[in-house]
Amino acid sequence: MDMFVPVLQGFGTVLEPGNLLYCFIGVLVGMLIGVLPGLGPAATMAILLPMTFGIEPVTAIIMLAGIFYGAQYGGTITSVLLRLPGEASAVVTVFDGFQMAKQGRAGAALGVAAIGSFIGGTASILGLTFLAPLIAGFALDFGPPEYAALALLGVTLVATISSGNKLKALIAASIGVFLAMVGRDVFTGTERFTFDNLSLSDGIDFVTVAMGLFGLGEILYNLEERHKAMAAPKKVKNVWPTRGDLKQSAPAIGRGSVLGFLLGILPGGGATISSLAAYGVEKKVAKDPSRFGKGAIEGVAGPESANNAAATSSFIPLLSLGIPANATMALMFGALLIQGITPGPLLVTEEPELFWGVVNSMYIGNILLLIMAIPLIGVFVKILSVRPAILAPITVLITLIGAYTIKNSVFDVGLVVLFGVIGYLMKKAGFEPGPLVLAFVLAELLESSVRRSLILFEGDLGGVFTRPITLTLLVVFLVVILLPIIRKVLGRSKTKSQEKELVS
Amino acid sequence: MDQNMRRISKRLVGPLALGSAAAMVLSGCGGNVAAGGGGGEEDFPTKEVSITVGAAAGGSTDLIARALADGASSDLGQALPVINKPGANGTLAAKEVQSAKPDGYNLATLNASLITITPLAVGEDEAVSIDDFEVITGVSQDDYVMVANPDAGVKTVDDIKNSDEKLSFGTAGVGTGSQLAQSLLLAQIDTDFKEVPFDSGAPAVTAALGNQVNISTVQLGEAKPHIDAGKLVPIMVFSEERNKFLEDVPTATEEGYDIPVSQYRAVVAPKDTPDAVIERLDKSFKATFETDAYKEFNEKNLLTPTEVSGDEIATEWADLADRYKKLIDEYDIDLSD
Amino acid sequence: MNEPKANGPSADDDPTAGVVAPGDEAETPDELLALWEDEGPPPAGGISNLVACGVTCLFGIVGMILSWNLSLGTLTDPAPGFFPFVVALIATVLSAAQIVLGRRGGDGEKFISHSVTVVWGVLSLVIFVAVLPLVGFEIPSLLLSFVWMKLLGGESWRSAILYSVLTVVAFYLIFVVALRTQLPHLF
Repeated sequence: MDMFVPVLQGFGTVLEPGNLLYCFIGVLVGMLIGVLPGLGPAATMAILLPMTFGIEPVTAIIMLAGIFYGAQYGGTITSVLLRLPGEASAVVTVFDGFQMAKQGRAGAALGVAAIGSFIGGTASILGLTFLAPLIAGFALDFGPPEYAALALLGVTLVATISSGNKLKALIAASIGVFLAMVGRDVFTGTERFTFDNLSLSDGIDFVTVAMGLFGLGEILYNLEERHKAMAAPKKVKNVWPTRGDLKQSAPAIGRGSVLGFLLGILPGGGATISSLAAYGVEKKVAKDPSRFGKGAIEGVAGPESANNAAATSSFIPLLSLGIPANATMALMFGALLIQGITPGPLLVTEEPELFWGVVNSMYIGNILLLIMAIPLIGVFVKILSVRPAILAPITVLITLIGAYTIKNSVFDVGLVVLFGVIGYLMKKAGFEPGPLVLAFVLAELLESSVRRSLILFEGDLGGVFTRPITLTLLVVFLVVILLPIIRKVLGRSKTKSQEKELVS
Repeated sequence: MDQNMRRISKRLVGPLALGSAAAMVLSGCGGNVAAGGGGGEEDFPTKEVSITVGAAAGGSTDLIARALADGASSDLGQALPVINKPGANGTLAAKEVQSAKPDGYNLATLNASLITITPLAVGEDEAVSIDDFEVITGVSQDDYVMVANPDAGVKTVDDIKNSDEKLSFGTAGVGTGSQLAQSLLLAQIDTDFKEVPFDSGAPAVTAALGNQVNISTVQLGEAKPHIDAGKLVPIMVFSEERNKFLEDVPTATEEGYDIPVSQYRAVVAPKDTPDAVIERLDKSFKATFETDAYKEFNEKNLLTPTEVSGDEIATEWADLADRYKKLIDEYDIDLSD
Repeated sequence: MNEPKANGPSADDDPTAGVVAPGDEAETPDELLALWEDEGPPPAGGISNLVACGVTCLFGIVGMILSWNLSLGTLTDPAPGFFPFVVALIATVLSAAQIVLGRRGGDGEKFISHSVTVVWGVLSLVIFVAVLPLVGFEIPSLLLSFVWMKLLGGESWRSAILYSVLTVVAFYLIFVVALRTQLPHLF
């Protein structure tokens, strides 16, 4: 039981009124800035970092945790209301979330997302509290071959998210992969498809692609619909999710939390793949998969629980191994360093108070987020009752200026406009942007992991047989691909035999 | 629509509008597009001095710029906003500041690798030369350390040399000091190896921690916690003198290899910035170097101060660029392979 | 603040309601979807399919050529051009298949006379991007906002001007005053 004394002491510190106030400020500011696309959690924390310099380490960390959770949820708000995903892990929320908003159920979507985020996040913190030392090593077992297999699995899921023409979805996905290859090749330094433009040499930023294709494309499309009285969203039916909504999404939240927790531990792509996987799983287990993409509440609940659980469990490699899993965690690492805390294997034993202060601040950040998000949903949803003619230019400006703030680059603003036009044309031609954007996200991980694996195996593909995790993932990959085909064949022969029976 | 909406917008907008009026008066209206001449050189600075960083927020280059800006702003009496403009290893940011108005209001932090190593891996056309800048002052250096997974069974360079296995080596990417230092060493000991480039230092460390690659060369700050915890074995540092944070680890020079690679950083202004302005800025940065807060920052981030004059930096970096060029020619190393 | 209605009838009686279309009594999501499908433009035909997939096919071919020039390497030792080439090849083949399979059309939507609005919208965006670095964001934002509200959206002069000004002021406060981002600004 000795182990838990510092845990409880940590709670005592965190619950001091001053600390709670900072947490509150953090969540609020995080949520408000997170709403601005382009400024994701990482940028938000970078901007607000100087605010934490003068205050006590524990207080500073509590505030950062607040910003972290707030910004995460802020991105969900724009994904649902305006179709602007600020982060790769929020892309799948767009599919059903935005449809729900169009049907007047934005409140339900945001409510379920908040509840799912809370449960996913809290479940992950519990996992972090009790299992961190046990499972941290899991992250280290993932080398290039494992990531390659994981990314391959993710790419197959891309096909499942489309609800229209499958062939066109695959065309869009392959173009997405190609776009991801623009920029300087990591392995040789060769410029690929940059046409000597230095602004392209780091590749195309995900946010510009997602905001252009989804957000701006949708706005341009709505311009031509404006002549009709029925434009964007309808009346907001109920601000909060109904009991039915909750019942329907409860299992999805559970599954999403577990998936998110497990995949989030992996530094590099874990959070995105977890939300995608959660969506794929929900669509697979649903009785009527055709509802997805048309406002299925599980399509919001699963991925949102998963990405928050993953965001939280990405603290595990940071705190127990000293490995920052992504840009946001790298910033958290920097913030902790400034506070005189070196995240790493020695943190728990050498400075238990700080370690548990960090962990416990996450509980508080999550609870405050839930407490603040639910009443604010009513306010956010009001955005949708603004006349489209007024809302549209405001959204356009948010998108363009948001794109500028990513890298302080006008070039990126131009790219967003370009992708906006492409998004509009895709909609007219019957292509969905979803597969393109997700393939874009996964492609880099896939290519670089495959090439790294080949270097390690020295070109011998048989090397995968020495790697049990890779092998397992590849088997799952084959099952996912082959199962529908086998089912189809079996189904056909079954109906045939039934026909025969009928005939005889 | 919608009395309700109107009421809300009124309620929201009222205080906002008031606040804006107040803010405009307070901030004294300073645009950043019009080329407004801000007073003479004597009363420099009369407005914000921006520091452009060619890396995303949160990395060590960014944190150093922020620490410097924090200190210098109290001496200069103006804010020093840090602008992150990542792209092409920092070339984008450097080119932008290079062509900015030379009035001292547009500074940049520059990594030596951009001048000395990047040109070796990419085309000449995007190379940046130190001659296009006025160097205000050197800042600090970040040393590279070669670390091995304990299970890899190598503790010294000789172990690498005599290893029966073909070892794998992670680097922080093409055109980085990590790659150059490691390539030079491997060429000099003449052994068979697999080189695995990662996107940056952090994943290279992670890979070494999991023995996905046996050995990685990364900046000290990235590896130090793992060395302390015994999860990684330090083999050598590539600085010319021993690193004070790793007193027990030999340098490459001591072991008899000619590999003088460190990450040096400096603050620069566009060419032809008036001397008086440069001196004023230099004074404020030197004052920052003397503060306890900044010294503590260096300690925590394991940075070794190299607070030498701008002229020294300019000659040193130009020398280094020559030396690296000669070395990779001598050992016939192709960084882009 | 007595604003003229933008377009079509508005629901003045229900304070929580947005714009409600006539006959929009659909309650379930399915009914709504069906309603939208009825009112949307007709699906695009075979020519649209040919043009769209022709473009993606061309994209693939150009991609293959560019990748080829980067050198391909081999399957076990890929050069920078290898993966882009494979992907471009896949895009080309799939596009060609879709040209044949989808020749009757049926996906997507036809362009309608109102599609011209989109051209004006895009033009305003391009101008915005071109002048942003020169004169800062305030004036272009104000104009863009006004053009979209008044000319493309059919708002009244009064509300278009009012909301445009408020929008720009709010953006100034958020991005310049509060967040101190380095967005080009004139004031």
